[in-house]
Amino acid sequence: MELEDEIFNDGLPKAYYKQNDNGQYVLETDAPWAEKVSCALIIAGNRARLEEIRKAVLAGQQSPLCYYMEMRQMEPGMLAKAAGIVVFRVRRHLRPEIFAKLKPSVLYRYTKALRVTMEELKTVPNN
Amino acid sequence: MITEYTATGKPFIHYHAAHCESGVTSALFRNKGVDISEPMAFGIGSGIFFAHLPFMKSLGHPVSTFRSQPGAIFRKTVKRLGGEFVIKSFRDPKKGMDELRQVLRTGQVVGLKTNLYWLPYISERFRFNFGSHNLIVLREIENGFRISDPTFEYPVDCSAEGLQKARFARGPMEGSGYMYYPKTVKLNPDLREACIKGMKDSCNMMIRIPLPFFGVRGIRFLAKRVIQSEGKLGIDEARRNLGAVVRWLEEVGTGGSGFRYMYAAFFQEAAELFGSEDLAELSHEMTVIGDTWRDFSVMSARIIKQRNKPEETFAKAGGLMLICAGREENFFKNLDQVARKLKA
Repeated sequence: MELEDEIFNDGLPKAYYKQNDNGQYVLETDAPWAEKVSCALIIAGNRARLEEIRKAVLAGQQSPLCYYMEMRQMEPGMLAKAAGIVVFRVRRHLRPEIFAKLKPSVLYRYTKALRVTMEELKTVPNN
Repeated sequence: MITEYTATGKPFIHYHAAHCESGVTSALFRNKGVDISEPMAFGIGSGIFFAHLPFMKSLGHPVSTFRSQPGAIFRKTVKRLGGEFVIKSFRDPKKGMDELRQVLRTGQVVGLKTNLYWLPYISERFRFNFGSHNLIVLREIENGFRISDPTFEYPVDCSAEGLQKARFARGPMEGSGYMYYPKTVKLNPDLREACIKGMKDSCNMMIRIPLPFFGVRGIRFLAKRVIQSEGKLGIDEARRNLGAVVRWLEEVGTGGSGFRYMYAAFFQEAAELFGSEDLAELSHEMTVIGDTWRDFSVMSARIIKQRNKPEETFAKAGGLMLICAGREENFFKNLDQVARKLKA
């Protein structure tokens, strides 16, 4: 329940059509319960997946690029388009040993596409 | 309703709306002196639809959408109401931003297509990569722009850098800095004829596309997939898929029950416009369909919440969807008959 309240108290509310007592449709801002539940499920899933990848990066199984790609809700195809790098290279860069050897010019393209700084891209948050 | 000002001091009234595209369309027309509400724009632009696309994924789940393709509502409304719009897209972000500033300086408000994920003022629950969120830019302010996003209650501020990233983000349905603004708009348009055209088009889209993914057939297709999903995918994955469907139904700017309530509101307005009992009847029927969709989403939410009661199963949820499909088929067949009789 806390997650639902947290994500729905954040930011401005949306509008929903509801009938008033005369049967006329008006706009209201109360979110229906079903929406809260499904939204919380999906956001909880996203967060759990991100956390899993963060642990995998710290264990040396994935590259930090994978973490930031997941954070921006991207897939290799989208990241490839955004950074201007071919898809199979992006997929290769998800492996930590290959990511460690990348030139700064390639990393710079990723920082542009993902909106992170160069220092951030080389590591993941520690806690 | 909040009054804002453009760069030359002309007033612009910000209306809260449920859906971005119909909201922007109606706001642009209202700004030019043609008073059409959001449901009206939605109905005239034939916004109502259903499609389930298992080969297109968003956040790892198949896309099931309850509205017509992005951009269609705007395009069709303009075509049916009459008006000339300037539409531009750009390759070079800098050129796109310069052009936007130049148009804003003339006192013209501009509609933009942006990527929802990169808009800085959006909270976490709206954040996903959706390439065609529409909004209106009112004027340039210090370090940014004043924006009237119809899905939000108040106008907001947005940094220039963030807006540029949102306009030129790459990915599915990328906007390429798509912008549009009215050049001339036909004053006193023939609303009745536009309404009839919109209704007939909706009927065609809902019951006459001979592919299993679209319209009423699409609802039946998805219902079958939901019923089988527990056995095929396992309970956890099936739950997540169902959650994604409910999100498409309730969350992504639908105004409740996958645009069905908004469409019922359109029929209320149309019934007044034509003075027709049949249309008022259809409005009630659409409300019933919306309520059934709401029942489905509540049932799904209970399945997701794992309130393990034997009476709440995937088969039941799919069954509710089949009921919706049957009712919608009836509805659009009736509408087809009614729309033929209406006189412009």
